[in-house]
Amino acid sequence: MNIFFRELKANYKFLLVWALALALLNFFMMYVYPSFAADVEALEKLVEMYPEGLLKVFGLDRISLVDPLGFYATEAYFMIILFGSIFAAILGSTLLAKEEDEKTIEFLLARPVTRTQVLTNKILAYLVYLLLFNLIIGLVTYGAFEIFDVGTYSRSVLAYLLAAPFFAHFTFASLGFLSSLFFSRRKSASSAGIGFVLTLYFFDALASFSKEAEFLRYLSPFYYMNAAEILLDGRIDPLNALILLAISAAALGFTHQLYSRRDILI
Amino acid sequence: MQEPVPTRYVIETRDLTKYYGKNRGIIDVNLQVGEGEIFGFIGPNGAGKSTTIRILLNFIFPTRGTAKVLGMDVLRESRKIKRQVGYLPGEVDYYEEMTVGELLEYTTRFYETDCRRRTEELLETFELDTRRKIHALSLGTKRKLGIILALLHKPRLLILDEPTGGLDPLMQKRFFDVLREEQKQGTAIFFSSHILSEVQKRCHRVAIIKEGRILKIEEIEKLRGNQFRNVRISFKNGNIPDIDLPGIIHREKENGTLRLFFNGDINELLRVLTHHELAGLWLEEPTLEEVFMHYYEKDES
Repeated sequence: MNIFFRELKANYKFLLVWALALALLNFFMMYVYPSFAADVEALEKLVEMYPEGLLKVFGLDRISLVDPLGFYATEAYFMIILFGSIFAAILGSTLLAKEEDEKTIEFLLARPVTRTQVLTNKILAYLVYLLLFNLIIGLVTYGAFEIFDVGTYSRSVLAYLLAAPFFAHFTFASLGFLSSLFFSRRKSASSAGIGFVLTLYFFDALASFSKEAEFLRYLSPFYYMNAAEILLDGRIDPLNALILLAISAAALGFTHQLYSRRDILI
Repeated sequence: MQEPVPTRYVIETRDLTKYYGKNRGIIDVNLQVGEGEIFGFIGPNGAGKSTTIRILLNFIFPTRGTAKVLGMDVLRESRKIKRQVGYLPGEVDYYEEMTVGELLEYTTRFYETDCRRRTEELLETFELDTRRKIHALSLGTKRKLGIILALLHKPRLLILDEPTGGLDPLMQKRFFDVLREEQKQGTAIFFSSHILSEVQKRCHRVAIIKEGRILKIEEIEKLRGNQFRNVRISFKNGNIPDIDLPGIIHREKENGTLRLFFNGDINELLRVLTHHELAGLWLEEPTLEEVFMHYYEKDES
């Protein structure tokens, strides 16, 4: 657990910056919501101006903006899940790569630790980080819903909307963790991670635009945590959560396989 | 120094071979280092010294062959091995954002034994300030920190990869004093270097590695009998006389200067030279490469 605690300590600023920035964003969104909602006509006009495809991307064909959760799901949620996934991909791809990049891995592996222990400590570190990340954003967002006069809303559905991004974040962190084994420098590892997140987000958006591209959405973790879906169902589909956890587990299993036989060359 | 009788091997490799893709790392390396022994591992850069050490520590995996450290297999029992092995890498890199004290504490937590007293002693010996940030340390100071990190858990075997680079002479002396102390208490030391004189003074035995293969494993006493010198003699009138002495391995003449590679009696040579008018005389320690090239030329003839 020694490595785990060191990682928690070493990266807390990185966590705070990202979590607070996104939490404030949500806070601001809910602050402007009441004045938006007061002008229903203007909102509806705004929605009419969007092309149909774009409405689908944001789920506006099925949910209303004149509802605090509908507003949150369409205007704020995507930023949390998208930017949070970028944060997660950077975090996941950095934790292991930086030891080789900064050549500290020799120090670490000269200690009585197995490679499996190194991996589990690092995975645990980003797991805890992503939980904290979503907890901070969740608490601030819930606070904003309570403080500002947003009208009535279902707390349990809000809780689902706040919990859902975590599954995507964890998936991207784990995929980043795996992919970092193929990069010798952490900067290229995290750039690749960011590119990967954006590509898959684009897949999801594209899939809602066109029928031909629909198959693409199954490849994208974003699809499995779709805000409109959660809002309409009133819950996270357990199967979707399981799919993301299974992808993460597969990525981590593969990482373990590769890392156990990896030549550490620095 | 008396050579201890090896009862058990602290390092034992059998046909250890490593290829990096198609590139040669080491080929069929067989080494046996006894308990309490100081063993020198010498060869030019790129010969395979670090490759061998990295396999012993399980940083990299051998292509072929086996290796045991302290009687344990390097692949299967690496964790146990590392409880009792101290390693000083050739290049020292630590977590830049930490202070010396934080890194020492972090390191200590990996071991079950109490390392505090030994750490204090070593900090005093090497005059290291625990409050300093690692990124602000000079190379020499980082190496001192590396030495402390290798020793603080009282290992039974020390593996040192080019240990003296970056240390000033005073600290080198302290370092070797500490090593002598360690050795007296039974710690075996495996130490790689490309500087022959460094190894010559301190080891019981040396292995010479070149292009990935062990050329020879030799007791240092035997090597020491061979005092190789590069001799350069320049003569006043420019005429180079014929000098014939036992121990001249190689000669070369140019511009009134005679170059000899010599391992005979230096007094004999000086007696011969008194019969000639000299403009200059230089005696130099040859490079390791030269010594071994000629040493083995001689062996073969």
